[in-house]
Parts: sequence; C-alpha cells; structure tokens
Amino acid sequence: MTDPRDDLDTWMNAQVRPLPPPPGTFELIRKRARRRKMTRAAAAAAGAAAVIAVIATVPRLVITQLNVSPGPAASGNAAGNTSSAGRHHHHQASAAPPALPSPSAPATAPPAAPPNFQPSSVTFVNLETGFALGQAGTPGQCGPPRKYICTSIAGTGDHGGTWHGVPAPITGAPSGPAGVSQVRFYSTSDGWAFGPQLWATHDGGQSWTRIRTHGLRVTALETAGQRVFAVWAQCAAGGADFAADCTSSALYAASPGSDQWAPVPGAGTGYSLSGAANSSALVLTGGRGYLLAPDGTLLSGPVTSAGGWQPVAGTASPAAAPCAPGAAQAGGQPSGALLAATTTSPAGLVLVCASAAAGGSQAKTVYTSADGGKTWQNKGSAPAASTVTSVAGTTAGTIVLATTAGLEISTDGGASWTAAQGSLPSGGFSYVGMTGPQQGVAVPVDAAQHAVWFTFDGGQSWQESAIS
Amino acid sequence: MDRLRTGDRAAAEELFNTCYPRLAGWVRRLVDDDDTAHEIAAEAFARLLGRWSRLDNPQSYLYMIATNLVRDHWRKTGRERKALQAVHAGAPADPSYQPAQDVHVRELLQTLPDRLRSPFLLHYYAGFPVRDVAALLGRPEGTIKADLFHARARLRAALGETDD
Repeated sequence: MTDPRDDLDTWMNAQVRPLPPPPGTFELIRKRARRRKMTRAAAAAAGAAAVIAVIATVPRLVITQLNVSPGPAASGNAAGNTSSAGRHHHHQASAAPPALPSPSAPATAPPAAPPNFQPSSVTFVNLETGFALGQAGTPGQCGPPRKYICTSIAGTGDHGGTWHGVPAPITGAPSGPAGVSQVRFYSTSDGWAFGPQLWATHDGGQSWTRIRTHGLRVTALETAGQRVFAVWAQCAAGGADFAADCTSSALYAASPGSDQWAPVPGAGTGYSLSGAANSSALVLTGGRGYLLAPDGTLLSGPVTSAGGWQPVAGTASPAAAPCAPGAAQAGGQPSGALLAATTTSPAGLVLVCASAAAGGSQAKTVYTSADGGKTWQNKGSAPAASTVTSVAGTTAGTIVLATTAGLEISTDGGASWTAAQGSLPSGGFSYVGMTGPQQGVAVPVDAAQHAVWFTFDGGQSWQESAIS
Repeated sequence: MDRLRTGDRAAAEELFNTCYPRLAGWVRRLVDDDDTAHEIAAEAFARLLGRWSRLDNPQSYLYMIATNLVRDHWRKTGRERKALQAVHAGAPADPSYQPAQDVHVRELLQTLPDRLRSPFLLHYYAGFPVRDVAALLGRPEGTIKADLFHARARLRAALGETDD
C-alpha cells in the first residue's frame, strides 16, 4: 500500500500541462461573447427599468406594465416579479448562492431566483435556455404592487445548472378565469404565460402584456415553426381547475412576435364538446400541428404559415383517434388521451389512452402513428400502477411517460417500459418534455420540491435542479 | 488590468493568449478529453469577454466559471466518464501524463461537498492564494483554511481506504 499522502501531494503539486487552443478558437469565443453580452445587457437594462417602473408607474397599473413587485427580502415573489428581482437582487444573490458564486455577481449578474419557488410549468427554447413559472415567496409578503400576487418566473441559461429571476405577469395563481400557471417560449424574446389568462412578452420576460380573450380561458398553448397556437375555451369551473367544465373551445393562432390572435380557419369556430368536462390535446412538430378535439377528432394543419387546419383523413374520413381527451387535469392537459410527437418519422405521433383512475392506478394503452394520425397501431400497455399526467417523445424514438409514481421510459415504441433512474420526488411528475434526443425536463407534482428534474441521457436517468 | 477594463480587442486577445493554454490544461486534468477541456475553457472565456470590463480579476473569474462548468460536466456525464476512465487508465497516451492518477483523485474530488471542493480546486489546483480564494468565495480566510484542511483530510482518508 502506498502512503495516501504521496498520491495526494503528487497530484496537487503536478504541473498543469498547457493545452494550446485550436486555430480560430479566439474568434469563435468573441462571437459567442458578443451574443451573450447583448443578452445580458438587455436583461440588466430591463431590471433597471423595472425598478424605475416601481417608482414611476405604480399609480397607473395597467395590464401592460411590468410586475414590479420586489418581494420581501426573504420571501418575495422575487424572480417572477421581475422587478422583484431588480430591487432585491443583490441581497438574494448573496443570501443563497447556488454554487460557486460568479465573481461579477454582485455587480452584473441577473437577479437571483425567487425564494420558495414552486414550479408549475417549465419550457425550453433550446438545450440551454429555459423558463419555469410558478408561485414563490409568501402570500401576503409579495409585491408590490400586490402583496398576494406571487406569480414568479425563473430562467436558466445553462440547462438548469443555475437559475435567475425573470419578470412575471402581475397576476396570481389560477383561480377560475384569472391567473396563470403555464409558460411557453418561442425564442429567448417571445413567450407566453397562460392558463387561464393569456399574457405575452416580446422582450424575454422583461415586460408582459395581457392578451384579451373575451372571457375565454386559454387551456393549452404551444409554439413551433413560425406560429403560436392556443386553445381558447368557454369554461365555468372555479378555483385551480381552470380548464374544467368547458362547454366550447376553439383554436387560435398568432405570429410569435405579435399579439394579433385570430381563430385558425377550420378549427377556430368552436368545435363541439360532447360533454361538460372535456379538454383538448395540442401538439406541434417542426412543420405540422395536431389538435385532438374533445370529441376525439384529430385535426392537423401547418405551423409555418397561417393556413387552415382540417380533420385528418383516415380510412374512414375523418380519422378518429383511439380515444378522446376527456376531462382536463389541473394544468389543463387532458386526462384521458395524451398526445405527443415522436418524430421518428416526419409525422410520428404517440397517443396514450388512459382509463379512469381507480385506487391510484389506471390502464394505459399506447398507440403510435407514423402517418400523422391517419392510422394508429396498438403498441401495448404502460405500467398500470400510477396515473399518467404527461407524455413526451424524442427524435430517437424514446417515449417518456410522467406519472404520479415517477417516469416510465420506452425505447421500443411503447411495447415495453422501464422506470427511470435517479432520486425522484414522491408524488411523481405533472409534466415531462424532451428538449432534444438526450435532454428533457420534468415538473414534479409536489411543487414544494422547489425544483425541476432533468435528463441528459434520453430519459434513462433524472437529476434534480433546485430553483433557488 | 486597466487595458482589460477598456474592453478592446487587443487586450482580450492578450488575455486569451496568456491564459487559455493553462486554463484548458487545468480543465483537462479535471475532465476526460481535450475536446471537453477546450469547450469548457472556451465557454469560460466567452462568459468572461462578455463582461470583463466589470471584473477586477478576470483570471479568477475564468477559473471560477471553469470550475462550475467542470462540476456540471461531472454531474451530467458520470456514466460516460467512468467508461472513458477505464479506457484511459488502461492505455495512457502520453507517458508524461498520468491520467490514471488524475482519474483516481478526480473521483475522490467529486465526493467532496461543494463547500470543500471549491476552495480545494481553486487553491491547490488553480493556484490561488488562500486570501484570494476567501475573497472569491466570500468566506473568511480562517474558514477557507479549515475547509482546505478538512478537504485534505477527507481525500487522504479516502486514498488510504482505496489503497488498502
């Protein structure tokens, strides 16, 4: 046996062998730095603007203003409320550095992520940059302008390695027709907070504008190609189940950079709802969108233009999906039919038909389609001992199910399933999405975990990313 | 330093030429391959150049960022890294370089809590004095010294166990 001191001392005293840069490295770095600098400058300017807005515009609160609530030092809706960030950023940043603090953090770093952040939704615009929306701080101690509005947004630029505060719309958690619970971004500039209200930002979250929906609730929203699509529904439920008791719904769309929403021809005239509690499933791929209507009809249309949508034509026209969406879950997504794109083929879809949950379990039949929903193949069943909440697919063909027990993975098109590895939260997940073939993100059912989970190996294993 | 604050290209290039090879080499000892080392070093420089005019100590910033990126790399590529370690340990390509030893210590470093690992890397590996490490991490010098002591003790104990 060698003396352990020898090993350690030798290692510590070893000379670092220089590694010269490949040709062109400096130019590549400069280009990358320029892009980062512009982004940071915009964020810093917006943060400063938010503080100014607190002073200058609080008396005239209109729907287009920033949520300038600075939040309390230890419990405000910090990040979310942008401004919050702006005002208390330094204090919060020094209070709880997530890892090695950046040397420049005290002067230039983005606002700290809000304390007590409880995520309800997460979205990524690329592998690195994403946003999480949720409630943060302590109700009664958030704001200004409103102490009980604690909706917050956290952003990451390093795939969840660190999180920072981003301004949020000045609205609360879902309660009947009011509030927001979900977030999607088309780019680092254009994004939306929704469910049930609809808010838009075109400056990376620095300011938010309320979009008028004429009393309708936005129960689903996705963006791809050159469009953003949303399901606007007439719903009656109160409380957090904003997408329940809906009696009609329609598909609306807009260009990502505008707030000019209009009904989608063919799907925007209020397609029928067969019951009082039905929902819709909306899925977009790079070139095509799919809407599973409340009655089980699958509609499809382009996402790169303002063209109309129409029912998918199958052997029997129109094609009927194997199951209908059924009642909405708390986040607005269906409970009976969960739809996702797999893109193993240009028109690849996966559909999970779930029975009514009983005793914490439910039957989950998995169907796939390689022709955009014209025909479906029964691939088998996913494990029954849980309730499915969300489904995602990858270009590699992997299917990931989020359930109340955890995450289930299939690499053979749904025929067989294995439980994902990692230290997963009790209560499972309410949402899962795959950002790329290897990377994905999941939101826990228990928002008090103050974290989301990431995979970097195609869904096989997941690790916690604390939002703090 | 004044030149750096001006943000001119010449100063940036000078900094790059001076610091990049050592930083990349430093990262190389902590990761598994040259490509990853270059990527991390380049990313650290990109972040530096984006805000260097506001930094008092660009070199410290570089190593802080690189340390964070290395930590992320460890976290994300644990399984792949182990496979590569086995390959490297069996067939070191450069006789002057001892990857097996690096791998051994590196594995142990990953078991250290962040509180101990960060000052250890910055002091023993990046070569910053205790005073600078204390300033970088925002902790008293005495705390840093204690952290370094505990890190060494843990590593030596672990090395002793693995050699048995």
